[in-house]
Amino acid sequence: MASSSISLKRREQPTTRDGDQLIVTPLGAGSEVGRSCVYMSFRGKNILFDCGIHPAYSGMAALPYFDEIDPSTIDVLLITHFHIDHAASLPYFLEKTTFNGRVFMTHATKAIYKLLLTDYVKVSKVSVEDMLFDEQDINKSMDKIEVIDFHQTVEVNGIKFWCYTAGHVLGAAMFMVDIAGVRILYTGDYSREEDRHLRAAELPQFSPDICIIESTSGVQLHQSRHIREKRFTDVIHSTVAQGGRVLIPAFALGRAQELLLILDEYWANHPDLNNIPIYYASPLAKKCMAVYQTYILSMNDRIRNQFANSNPFVFKHISPLNSIDDFSDVGPCVVMATPGGLQSGLSRQLFDSWCSDKKNACIIPGYMVEGTLAKTIINEPKEVTLMNGLTAPLNMQVHYISFSAHADYAQTSTFLKELMPPNIILVHGEANEMMRLKQKLFTEFPDGNTRIMTPKNCESVEMYFNSEKLAKTIGRLAEKTPDVGDSVSGILVKKGFTYQIMAPDELHVFSQLSTATVTQRITIPFAGAFGVIKHRLEKIFESVESSTDEESGLPALIVHERVTVKQESEKHISLQWSSDPISDMVSDSIVALVLNISREVPKIVVEEEDVVKSEEENGKKVEKVIYALLVSLFGDVKLGENGKLVIRVDGNVAQLDKESGEVESEHSGLKERVRVAFERIRSAVKPIPLSASS
Amino acid sequence: MGTSVQVTPLCGVYNENPLSYLVSVDGFNFLIDCGWNDLFDTSLLEPLSRVASTIDAVLLSHPDTLHLGALPYAMKQLGLSAPVYATEPVHRLGLLTMYDQFLSRKQVSDFDLFTLDDIDNAFQNVIRLTYSQNYHLPGKGEGIVIAPHVAGHMLGGSIWRITKDGEDVIYAVDYNHRKERHLNGTVLQSFVRPAVLITDAYHALYTNQTARQQRDKEFLDTISKHLEVGGNVLLPVDTAGRVLELLLILEQHWSQRGFSFPIYFLTYVSSSTIDYVKSFLEWMSDSISKSFETSRDNAFLLRHVTLLINKTDLDNAPPGPKVVLASMGSLEAGFARDIFVEWANDPRNLVLFTETGQFGTLARMLQSSPPPKFVKVTMSKRVPLAGEELIAYEEEQNRLKREEALRASLVKEEEIKASHGSDDNSSEPMVIDTKTTHDVVGSHGPAYKDILIDGFVPPSSSVAPMFPFFDNACEWDEFGEVINPDDYVIKDEDMDRGAMHTGGDVDGRLDEATASLMLDTRPSKVISNELIVTVSCSLVKMDYEGRSDGRSIKSMIAHVSPLKLVLVHAIAEATEHLKQHCLNNICPHVYAPQIEETVDVTSDLCAYKVQLSEKLMSNVIFKKLGDSEVAWVDSEVGKTESDMRSLQPMAGAASPHKPVLVGDLKIADFKQFLSSKGVQVEFAGGGALRCGEYVTLRKVGPTGQKGGASGPQQILIEGPLCEDYYKIRDYLYSQFYLL
Repeated sequence: MASSSISLKRREQPTTRDGDQLIVTPLGAGSEVGRSCVYMSFRGKNILFDCGIHPAYSGMAALPYFDEIDPSTIDVLLITHFHIDHAASLPYFLEKTTFNGRVFMTHATKAIYKLLLTDYVKVSKVSVEDMLFDEQDINKSMDKIEVIDFHQTVEVNGIKFWCYTAGHVLGAAMFMVDIAGVRILYTGDYSREEDRHLRAAELPQFSPDICIIESTSGVQLHQSRHIREKRFTDVIHSTVAQGGRVLIPAFALGRAQELLLILDEYWANHPDLNNIPIYYASPLAKKCMAVYQTYILSMNDRIRNQFANSNPFVFKHISPLNSIDDFSDVGPCVVMATPGGLQSGLSRQLFDSWCSDKKNACIIPGYMVEGTLAKTIINEPKEVTLMNGLTAPLNMQVHYISFSAHADYAQTSTFLKELMPPNIILVHGEANEMMRLKQKLFTEFPDGNTRIMTPKNCESVEMYFNSEKLAKTIGRLAEKTPDVGDSVSGILVKKGFTYQIMAPDELHVFSQLSTATVTQRITIPFAGAFGVIKHRLEKIFESVESSTDEESGLPALIVHERVTVKQESEKHISLQWSSDPISDMVSDSIVALVLNISREVPKIVVEEEDVVKSEEENGKKVEKVIYALLVSLFGDVKLGENGKLVIRVDGNVAQLDKESGEVESEHSGLKERVRVAFERIRSAVKPIPLSASS
Repeated sequence: MGTSVQVTPLCGVYNENPLSYLVSVDGFNFLIDCGWNDLFDTSLLEPLSRVASTIDAVLLSHPDTLHLGALPYAMKQLGLSAPVYATEPVHRLGLLTMYDQFLSRKQVSDFDLFTLDDIDNAFQNVIRLTYSQNYHLPGKGEGIVIAPHVAGHMLGGSIWRITKDGEDVIYAVDYNHRKERHLNGTVLQSFVRPAVLITDAYHALYTNQTARQQRDKEFLDTISKHLEVGGNVLLPVDTAGRVLELLLILEQHWSQRGFSFPIYFLTYVSSSTIDYVKSFLEWMSDSISKSFETSRDNAFLLRHVTLLINKTDLDNAPPGPKVVLASMGSLEAGFARDIFVEWANDPRNLVLFTETGQFGTLARMLQSSPPPKFVKVTMSKRVPLAGEELIAYEEEQNRLKREEALRASLVKEEEIKASHGSDDNSSEPMVIDTKTTHDVVGSHGPAYKDILIDGFVPPSSSVAPMFPFFDNACEWDEFGEVINPDDYVIKDEDMDRGAMHTGGDVDGRLDEATASLMLDTRPSKVISNELIVTVSCSLVKMDYEGRSDGRSIKSMIAHVSPLKLVLVHAIAEATEHLKQHCLNNICPHVYAPQIEETVDVTSDLCAYKVQLSEKLMSNVIFKKLGDSEVAWVDSEVGKTESDMRSLQPMAGAASPHKPVLVGDLKIADFKQFLSSKGVQVEFAGGGALRCGEYVTLRKVGPTGQKGGASGPQQILIEGPLCEDYYKIRDYLYSQFYLL
């Protein structure tokens, strides 16, 4: 039935299938990892989650598919955390597109976002010709970004949203959006495991209707944190104890801070190691330390308790290292260096000089991007190619101990089981991993009430929500609670997605709106006798009352209980009325009449027979008009038997009784439409009832 | 019909006493604020003590003594046990304020109303919320949503919104609409038409607030004038509230002018205060967070201010003019009082008050005009016991210890007897019995001996005493001995432990000296002596209270225009003044209850909920007006499947209704609109607008507060019959929506 819906009016369209349509379209991170960007639209509100860049591509190719949407229609853009694949296309989107909505992220994210992107621009300036944005764009974007605190509820154009702690990195958030009672949770990258400085992702107190969830880890299970930490520290301890050097290639921000915390604490607990230096070689990380030292409130209780004694991010055993020139390679040490993929830079320089000594070790602490040297050495090849093109034997030990804070399968499935969302949309995962996760989740939710979807980029998923519209009737209208069949009339005020019905004169009490009455007074030159006007008016209008003005004692006429005609002076009369369409019309006709009187001698009134005849004529005319209007609306309108009009639209038939206005039809939509149309036509062509003002 | 709301002030009405109000929403009792004064007068808490046990939740609005001072005492002594809600800064700075109060008091008296542990306990279970966080109350409060919103005045300061069934109760005291260096202005004006507004009239009569820049200039000029002639400047301040703003002003100014006079911030908790404040950037003004985001420049990284936590450090500081900010603001206790007494008789010195002192305190006395020439001050000091007193004290302690031991042994004896008695009756295995005996032998050897001599009778059911023996049987299956896999798991070597251990201080951070003071168990006593202090130093008072002034309060209330208004916390005059003003201009329901007088502010609003059917809605055409949309509906009541009332389209023709013009016409805006359309407009006398040559337009009827509760607008347009008239009428109509 939905497909054959009658497009009588455009507004009808979205409401035909039971409920309103909600669309979710990944513009990036759909069955891939990188350039997270998910578009969502429901009841005319459009939201974009995240705005990332694909780290493996460059230039425009790295952007999400922004062409799929009209950026100017986006109401709100929500950024979950500062990682490149979640935030880096933001300057482009803000400065180079027609987007003019509002952008939100958490305080910590905003502070790091700027540092990180400025660094990103600097680094990529060397390699990429077509820059997507420059430092100025970043600075300009800072003014447009608004901050939101965890749990703070913000409302924009009726869209309510707030965020929960997501774990993962400092300031990472999961966004819950509420549009007209339909809730959508977008997790971004999240981790349900508490670590050294971050809280675990919170479990939202409300279950969402749709959960858009990351699937980076797929069906993998992580080792427990303590075991991983133990492996990590054991490897380091044994390596440095044997006089070896440890290289930890890591991305500058996020997980690196966690590793530094582990190392600093381990060193504090093992005084025998204190003469072995730890370096972290990233100017960016050094700059971001101030942010880490400040937004303690976004971290877990453990850090907060430590903070009570001394700031744990003021490291005691770790010193920064600016470049390889400042580094004297004499004996055992631990160096954490960027980039994480060993593509170039300091981490690569150190790797090249250390890789052939079997006393040394390299620990890969996180997710490796396909095609990087870090990914290659995991498989422990015999030889590696150095930066200078020579090959060298790979003798150093290589360990892969993942500290990447993405939820594993156990966390994802428990999280989803707690929330029980009826719709699950998987994003941010490699396609195969995602399918495996989908299959496994299906076995976890066998009852079939849960839809699990894995849309590709630009592929929309549609869902329908029958969001009940509830209104609150308040004030005088609600003095008596009505029974079935009673009628309720009043002003319906919609604010966001809440509705209130109230009496017009209470509008100013319950809302910020107010009503007004416009009183009009118009003076017309008229030199004749006032009695003439009275006489003429009586001929035309049914109700003309005579009275005298209280102040001046001059005669006055009240026409149709709405327009007062007063003799102001010998030469002027005045009309006074309170504006509304009918009164305006009445007054216009009075004006016309008065002007006519002054221009010509009155004619003799039309004869009685004519009146009767003209009434008949009128009746016919009315019917004609009704017919013509119906044809213009519905097309196929015929006069059927027993005087009813037969209307056909798309194979549906409706019969209309012209006298009573009753409509018969099998199709309820058409029936309703015809009835309303007829009602309106009839009120337009029939004479106005006198009682209209009551 | 609506949600039932009752307000009962417990303290702080018709005077400037601390704030504490009981607000009951549908039977759920909120205690909003739990204040005390610097004198810790227990009589103020009597009304609270009568209701403390019935309270279901406590909401705190500002981190100072007036708003939360009584919390530890009420929790300890008055049976208050409800969960407490506050923002993170209110919690943390409130805790520090209470520490400071306690330590200051302890120095000068045998303060025993509450202890540091009581403070910790009271603040331990505070549920911390962020601004605009809609918190759904659990359990009894089901359906009630509370949310703190920015109030200004102090860091973390909150306006509380309590919502039930769409009706708002708003509690807003001590708010500040003006933006300050470290705080944003309040968002009170974003609430419109709440059912109830509870607010203070504290500043209702205070109108001549000087502009910020001028005030800052005077402030700094006064200070530098005294410093330049070699005087010292004392600013009595609170522990962690308004002082932050003062610190920023001084810091900024010192950088700009390159002053080298030292500034000292002296409270028992000053360094922890600043450390915490540094991590509260999220709660501060936009400009502060912006400067951090762009340059990572933390405004509270104070370069010119030295943080001190005891007075010896100040005494050891190099001599010369200096500025000292010290607590308490009331001069009733704390370092500020000591310093005042020391500095008062030097005419070069300055005591600069930044807020009105609490009633009945030394600060208030000094602020009176003309200022007193002499003040009588009781100075108390805690000194360690020495000589004979010490010996006497030790003897007393020993005696007490002995008594205690004796009592303990008696109790133990009783217990053991009882346990044996029960053993006689039950057939407990012997093992348990040996255990208890072990215990007794271990810890209370002598006592046990007594019992043995006294006639230890082995329970009749017991077997002969033997060492406990555990049969270590192991199970076997085809693979060998059954093992417990847990034994072989790599132990989660808890690397956190070390850190946790060091982090296991009391709840908050305490400075070393403070901690030593706390843990100082050396016997000591308090000695007092009365002094007459000659006040020859200059006394100046400036307004850095960070509260909105009378005029802003009025326009703020008018903007919010609540359906019902409750006024609290102000002297009788101010309360009465604001009450009359609001009655005349804002709303007809204004209440100013007395202490323990319950006012019922249940809204008499009728309301019911209906479902809007799709059929009806598909025929409604909304018109957009500001941020809301309006439409006229004619409908018939039906029932949905779930037996809910629902509105359906009318079956028959709707009876026509009187047309309504919706919109808010501002004459000035309309004038501009007309002139943009090429019509000559000018203001004629009496608020009339002359459009073109002949037509005049005016607003008639009562001109109340902007659009507010004054009813519909009346607009009169008049003129002779001419083309212009109809043109202008059309323009006028275009400003409205006709429903």
